[in-house]
This record gives sequence, structure tokens and C-alpha cells, in this order.
Amino acid sequence: MARYFTIFLTFARACLVRDMTFRANFILECLTSLGWMSMNLAFYLLVFTFTSEIGKGTGWSKEPFFAFVATGLIINSVVQAFFMPSAEELTEMVRTGGLDAVLVQPLDAQFLLSMHRVDFSALANGAVGVGLLAWAMSRMDYTPPAVAWLLYPLLLLCGVAILYGLVIMLAAATILMGRNQSLYDFWFYLTNFSRYPAEIYSGPWGGPLRMICTFVIPILLVVNVPARVIAQPFTGESWGSVAAAVIAAVVALVVSRVVFQRALSRYRSASS
Amino acid sequence: MHNTDPAAAAPVAEPIIRVEGLAKEYRVFDKPEGLAASVRALFHRTSRVVQAVKGVDLTVGRGEFVALLGPNGAGKTTLLKLLSGIITPTRGTATVLGHVPWERADDFRRRFALVMGQRNQLWWDLPAAESFRLHQEIYRIDPARFEKTRDELVDLLGVRKLILQPVRELSLGERMKLELVAALLHEPEVLFLDEPTIGLDVVAQHTIHEFLRDVQRRRWMTVVLTTHYMKDVAALCERVVVITRGDILYDGSLAEIVDRFTTHKIVTLDFDEAPDRSVIARFGFPCEFRGPQVVLRIDRSRIADVLPGILGSAGVRDVSVEDVPLEEIVAELFRSDARAAAVAEASR
Repeated sequence: MARYFTIFLTFARACLVRDMTFRANFILECLTSLGWMSMNLAFYLLVFTFTSEIGKGTGWSKEPFFAFVATGLIINSVVQAFFMPSAEELTEMVRTGGLDAVLVQPLDAQFLLSMHRVDFSALANGAVGVGLLAWAMSRMDYTPPAVAWLLYPLLLLCGVAILYGLVIMLAAATILMGRNQSLYDFWFYLTNFSRYPAEIYSGPWGGPLRMICTFVIPILLVVNVPARVIAQPFTGESWGSVAAAVIAAVVALVVSRVVFQRALSRYRSASS
Repeated sequence: MHNTDPAAAAPVAEPIIRVEGLAKEYRVFDKPEGLAASVRALFHRTSRVVQAVKGVDLTVGRGEFVALLGPNGAGKTTLLKLLSGIITPTRGTATVLGHVPWERADDFRRRFALVMGQRNQLWWDLPAAESFRLHQEIYRIDPARFEKTRDELVDLLGVRKLILQPVRELSLGERMKLELVAALLHEPEVLFLDEPTIGLDVVAQHTIHEFLRDVQRRRWMTVVLTTHYMKDVAALCERVVVITRGDILYDGSLAEIVDRFTTHKIVTLDFDEAPDRSVIARFGFPCEFRGPQVVLRIDRSRIADVLPGILGSAGVRDVSVEDVPLEEIVAELFRSDARAAAVAEASR
């Protein structure tokens, strides 16, 4: 494990060196990312000029909702920084046969393929997320109990693990299909559902969608569970959702591992 | 036709690579032409099975330098990919250094290297030195040993000044030299080379030949090379395996391939001035006139008998007797195999 951590640090260092080589590109990426996020935050602020709560009686008033948004920013920035760049590159590696070079190296292929590129500019959103969370928590009337503060980082990790599992399964699909340029689009559509409180998915269409996004593709557990733990009153029922998030994270990691290994065994390589 | 030179095929050293009945088949989907056919193909696709490698048997001993020759699509690279565990075979068995390659055990992958001439394995935007450092971590090379090996290899190839330059700024030849350095840093026991000199100029080719010969001899490394350049083969390999249509057509020594598949030698005569064609023609051999130079193709068994007579003809200033170029022999081998395949196909 220590060796893998050292190798990851070496990858990260190499990526940082590369980013510093193309400084203008790095700064532009940070600005683009921050700009997109700022527009989203402005949109939410606009929404709260018309209403005091997202959904009647849901408890997602302005500050708790911004704690929710901050949680999403932190989780997504980790995934975008550490896993997505490699997954995006995989499409090209499969198509051109670049994956061959990875498979001959004495390391776990999933580790190499999912963590060899780090996009440091994506961490800018995460930093803003931490700031936003601090701002929202300081303005909330409610103070979370100690157990909520202890569970929060664990649940952030669970959220990251669930998204990582999805990234890996999409990457496996790339290996099987030989080309999957819609990987990033598909990822965006999927994760879009996780950006809002689960309570908004109600009614004849919302109900089934909420069930699917909780139990089939557990995307609604990613942000909702940690955000609810920290920004909503912590009750006995909260433990149920905590357990669900932990189980979903473990299942996502195990299933994605199995799917990825099977995909690798069916890798065809590209003609030279 | 499957010719095997027993003396050359039998491993003289400890077998490192053992292959039995190894086969790889791919299902390929046909892509019809035209819009309507493409739309129809969305619902009903036709496919066929391509046999990239057909039941190959091969044994390679420690320290051998083996060339895999064959026309494009013959199955050479597929065989290398099977032996390095990149792809899984449809049938058959293989062990390399005692491991089944496609199980991809770390112990196995630490002991071999693969260099593909058409693929870049170094980090494109970074200096090669960064990739080397990463390699050191991945292969767990002792830092002192890493530095010693790296310095030795970069000096042998004369690329010390290049390792701090971003790879994307290097020429193809320079990149290939650095690819070789990276591949050899962990001192592999087996090296698979897939067209390592493709697209390189003669100077770079020569440097790489010298380097590979030197490193292979010093480390007693087993090397399997695929190439289309006969200069690579002549400079490096004692054993040649010819593959066509996924099967081994010939496995034997380089010297044997010349003896076995050529019936004549090339005799080049240099005259003071253009000779009388009728004088040369009366010897009855195929000949080509190039001003004061004449090139004859003479049956090997008759060289000793006829050469004195030819040399006795007036004005011969210089003479050379050579084997038919390897390119020509191998090309003829490929052509004769293709003809045999066409006949077999027609009679089916």
C-alpha cells in the first residue's frame, strides 16, 4: 500500500511539473472551473430570492442548501482531480493501443489507469467548497453534534468511492467497446442527479427516479447523505442513510473491480 | 510448408519461452459501404473470425536473439502481445520465465520489457528523466542501482543531454533511444521489441543495433524482435522465425535460411569498360548489365566450375561473390507462401 501511495505521489508530482510547464493553460482551467461554479452559485442565490426553502418542509433552506452545494463541490472536485482525467484518457488509450504499455507494468492496472493523471486545477472548486461550507455552517442556527462531524469525512469518502466505482465501470465499458467517447457526457448526465436534494424527486415521475438513483445507481447517496448529516438535524433515522452510503460505497468498489478485471481480460489491443 | 532447422530450433540454453499450439482469433464486424447499408448494419451486423495466430509452437532459450519476420498482418505483433500478456489467447499454452503471461503476475512483469516502435511510452510533455524516475518507483529499483544503470545506458546511446528535454521536443530517433533506456532500466531478462527501428535514419539504426548487441551480450538477455528491416536481422539475430498468416513458415538459423531458400549466388564483375554482351551471355546465366559492371546469378553448385572461365574473359578488373540479399529471400518466401495459399483456396 505504501508503495502505491509513493507511486501515486510520483504521478502527482509529474502532473504538477507538467501543469507548471503550461502555466497559462493551468490558470485558464482554474478560472473556467471557478467561473462555471460561480454561475451556479449565483443561480442558487437567485432561486432563494423567490423562495426560502427548496421544497416545502424539506429543511433545505438557504444555508443548509449551500452546505449541500459545498459538499457536492468537495466530492466532485476530488473525483475530477484524481480520477476523471485518467478515465478520459483511457478512451484514447484503448483506441490507439496505448493501454498495452500499462498492462506490461508490474502494478495493478486499475490503479494505474484510474490514477495516473491528476488535474490540480479541479481542486480549486474543492477549496471554494470548503470555504462555502464554513460560511454556511457559521450562519446556520443548528449546530451538528460531534458524531455528525466525525461521520462527515467518512461519508465524503463514501461519496467519492461511489463515484469512483461508476467511473471505473464506464472505463470498463470503454475497454469492451473499443471506443466510448461519450464517457464524459454520460458521467455528466448521471452525476447531474446527485447535485440536488433527494426530496425534490417526488410524485409519479420523481418517486421511481429516486428509487433508481438510490438503489440501482446509488448516485443520490453521494452528496445527500453527508450533506444531510451535517446540515440537517441528526436523528436515529440518520444512521440508516449512513449505513446505506457505506454499503453502497463498498458494493460500488467491489462490483467495479470485478467488471474492470473482466473487461481487461477481454481487451483486444489495437493494431500496430 | 513448415521448415524447421532442428539444430537452430532446439534450444541450446535453458528454455525461457515455451509456446505450444498458441492461437488467437478475433471476431471482426464488417462495415458495409454506403448510408443505407450502414443503417441496416445497426440492426444486423455480419462478422467473421480472423485467425491472427494459428497454433504456433516455439521455444526460445536464454540469451537467444530471435527475429520474427513476416509480411504485414502475419501475426508477429499479436504473438508478441500474447507473450507479454497484453492479450489472452483463444487456445494453446505459453510460459515466459516460468509464468503464464496473460495471468499478468507482478513477478513476471518485473522481469521483461516491451518496446513498441510505433508507440510512445514515455510521458509526452515531460523530460525522459521524469519517466525514468517513475519507472524506478514502479519497478522498485534500488536508487543507487537505478542511477548506475541509467547513466550506463544513456552513455551507451549518447543521449545524456536529452534526458532533461521534454519528450515532445525530441526527434523520432532520439525518442526511440530513450524508450530503450526506459525499458532496460529494470534490467529485464526478456526483451520484446516490436519494430524498434521503424522510421529511423541509418545512423540511428546503426546506433541502436550496436547498443542492443552490446547490452544483450553483457546481460545474456533473451530478445525477441519483430521487424521489416533485414539490416536489423543481419546485424542482431542468429535465429529467424518466419511467420505468415499466423503460422510459422520457417524457424532456423539466419545462415540456414540463405542456404535453404536460395539456389544461386550473385556474382558482380567489374570491367575496365562496358564488356561485349555476347561474351558474357554465352555463359548462359541470367545477367544484368550496368555499364562496366555485370551482375550474374549463378547456380551455387556451379560457382567453382564456371567462375575461372568467366574471370578468364578479357578485362575483368574486380569480382565479388555474394549471397542473395536477405530481403529478396524473405520476400520470395512470403510470395511463395501467398501463392500456395491462393492455390489451396482455389482448390477448396
